[in-house]
Amino acid sequence: MIVRMAKIEIAGPKELLLDVLALVQELGLFQVEPEPGGFVEAGVEAKVRPLVPDEQVVAERLFLENLGSGIAGVLAALPRPAVGTSPLDPRAALEVVAAAVGGHGAWCREQEERLAALRRERDELQRHAVIVEALDRLLAGVSLGEGVDCIGLVLREPAAVERLRWLVANGTGGASELLTAVAADGTTVCLIVTVRERGARLRELLGAEHLPELELPAAFADLPFPERIRRLRGRLAEAAAEMAAIEGTLADFARTWGGAYLRAREWVENRLSLLRLTARVHETLMCFVIHGWMPAAGVPGLEGELAARFGGRVVVEEKALREQDLQRIPVALKNPPYFQPFELFSRMLPLPRYTSYDPTPFIGVFFPLFFGMILGDAGHGTVLLLASLAALRIWPGRPAVRDAARILLVSSLSAIVFGFAYGEFFGELGGTLFGLRPLIVERRTAIVSMLWFSLAVGTVHVTLGLFLGFLSAVRRHTGKEALFRLTTIAAILCLALLVVSLFQLFPRNLARPAIIALVALVPLLLATGGFIAPLEFLRTVGNILSYARIMAIGLASVLLASMANTLAGMTGDIVTGIIVAGLLHTVNLVLGVFSPTIQSLRLHYVEFFSKFLEHGGRAFDPFRKSRTDKEEESWKRH
Amino acid sequence: MEKALIALAAALAIGLSALATAWAQSRIGSAGAGTIAEKPELTATVIIMVAIPETMVILGFVVATMILYR
Repeated sequence: MIVRMAKIEIAGPKELLLDVLALVQELGLFQVEPEPGGFVEAGVEAKVRPLVPDEQVVAERLFLENLGSGIAGVLAALPRPAVGTSPLDPRAALEVVAAAVGGHGAWCREQEERLAALRRERDELQRHAVIVEALDRLLAGVSLGEGVDCIGLVLREPAAVERLRWLVANGTGGASELLTAVAADGTTVCLIVTVRERGARLRELLGAEHLPELELPAAFADLPFPERIRRLRGRLAEAAAEMAAIEGTLADFARTWGGAYLRAREWVENRLSLLRLTARVHETLMCFVIHGWMPAAGVPGLEGELAARFGGRVVVEEKALREQDLQRIPVALKNPPYFQPFELFSRMLPLPRYTSYDPTPFIGVFFPLFFGMILGDAGHGTVLLLASLAALRIWPGRPAVRDAARILLVSSLSAIVFGFAYGEFFGELGGTLFGLRPLIVERRTAIVSMLWFSLAVGTVHVTLGLFLGFLSAVRRHTGKEALFRLTTIAAILCLALLVVSLFQLFPRNLARPAIIALVALVPLLLATGGFIAPLEFLRTVGNILSYARIMAIGLASVLLASMANTLAGMTGDIVTGIIVAGLLHTVNLVLGVFSPTIQSLRLHYVEFFSKFLEHGGRAFDPFRKSRTDKEEESWKRH
Repeated sequence: MEKALIALAAALAIGLSALATAWAQSRIGSAGAGTIAEKPELTATVIIMVAIPETMVILGFVVATMILYR
């Protein structure tokens, strides 16, 4: 349902403005309107002007904006899971934080910079570590004496090993050994072990062949090869320990100060939003004036609170709604618990205008009905019922899943009811096993009857949509449109009467008066709807025919179920038959969830809502406090 | 012969409208896939847009039913 809104003006002495705004923020029910047009009576517009903030407000705003950015800087540096909660009152937290934020900010920045430098170093060392590990494996098989020199190399092409082997053999006169290994990242790592006096010559040869020795970070460049590996590993361990120490320090800091900073940030943000809101307030010579919207049901509560806190110095006036207000009244939707899950579907549509209707209750009533009419199988309905109950039990804390499961629950009950009406339990299995017989109609054989039934449902649904469109037009005082909707309803009913008479469902002699009435309505249609009226009328007829999908999709579903049972019977084996029937019924069940859902929604969105729903509403966005509690909880869950 | 012609007429009524629906859905579907890639919040709208041409095959089905069960 669309919540009824009241047009409100709050006025009081200027010195109470911030306190009144704080109360409004606390209640969280009031949306401030920045433009006074439509709120201020004609003749007094000149006396009401935008409020000019005093120096104190401007100074407070600057201070809080500065403090807010300081707090944001500190919180950005803190590890989230470690942030604790604070028992401090936000105002007390603010005083403590305001005194400490400068020093804490500088310290946090310093820690962050050190951490970033260590991470860069670690990443660089880790890149080398992969190669070093491969070299280490090679070194394990080498006896390193005084006169031995080692040269490490990385080859991009494994095929170059043979060329390198030849080069090493020729360059050292055979006084060397080439060892190769494949590193963890797939690169080929080579270790040349030679006598110390041949080492320099060999490096020259390798440089000429564009095979430079493996370069480690500058701090390790001058060390002997085995020492380099040891120092590299040592430095990696040191860097990791230093990082862990800094992270631990930051985590300790976050546990001690994080909660206070979060509380302070919440207070600062709320106070800043309040100070910023003063730009939407107006003033007269002595008073402030706040214009806006709030749910009509909340007005007595606001009046009571203002009277209790300010003793009649602040007044609330509910203004009369004017024609031009209807386009800008904000829209809030509130539905009874049964309909709330169906808001999942209505949220897919743009917000309706205030003068229109909330589509949720209509979906809540007709969606399960159409779903049941299309699926119409007690067996499939029972499986879906159990699935929805399981989903509600497994994911109770996920709102979208919970809503979808509740919709499925209602829809599956509808499918069970229609299943008994059609006499279907996994197709004709119910009839074979338990002697289940259709209570109303058997879909497989009564195809034409089901077609008429579907079209009758479509006629009722579309006519209801047209009638709601008529009411909506009356509410907007657009008489011509209202008359056009009414004429279309009359024409549709005449056409329906004509069709059922011609097909002898009603006495045939009703056809003539129906034709005469239809012809008589044509000029009225043209007069109220213009030259496009016949096309509109044909579109409406097409919309009604579209409801034949209820029968068509349902027939496909029942035939698939029947096919599953037939194929299972043809296997001639109980176990194979159960497997085949189970698989095919599962496929049918999956189709049976998606197809009726999409088709039912389509019937609502395209055929039904197009007749009356006006989109383009402005969402109700009341001025209220932001909460840190939820953020604290989400941080703790990390 | 008459039965065969009736069956052919019903088959054409649903077959041609199914082809038309398929063609329309292929165009809308490919455009819709691009739309979802850029704006995932329009998924529901795209699903409904894809379902819109189904009216054609439903009407074909109604006509075929009328032919077969007249």
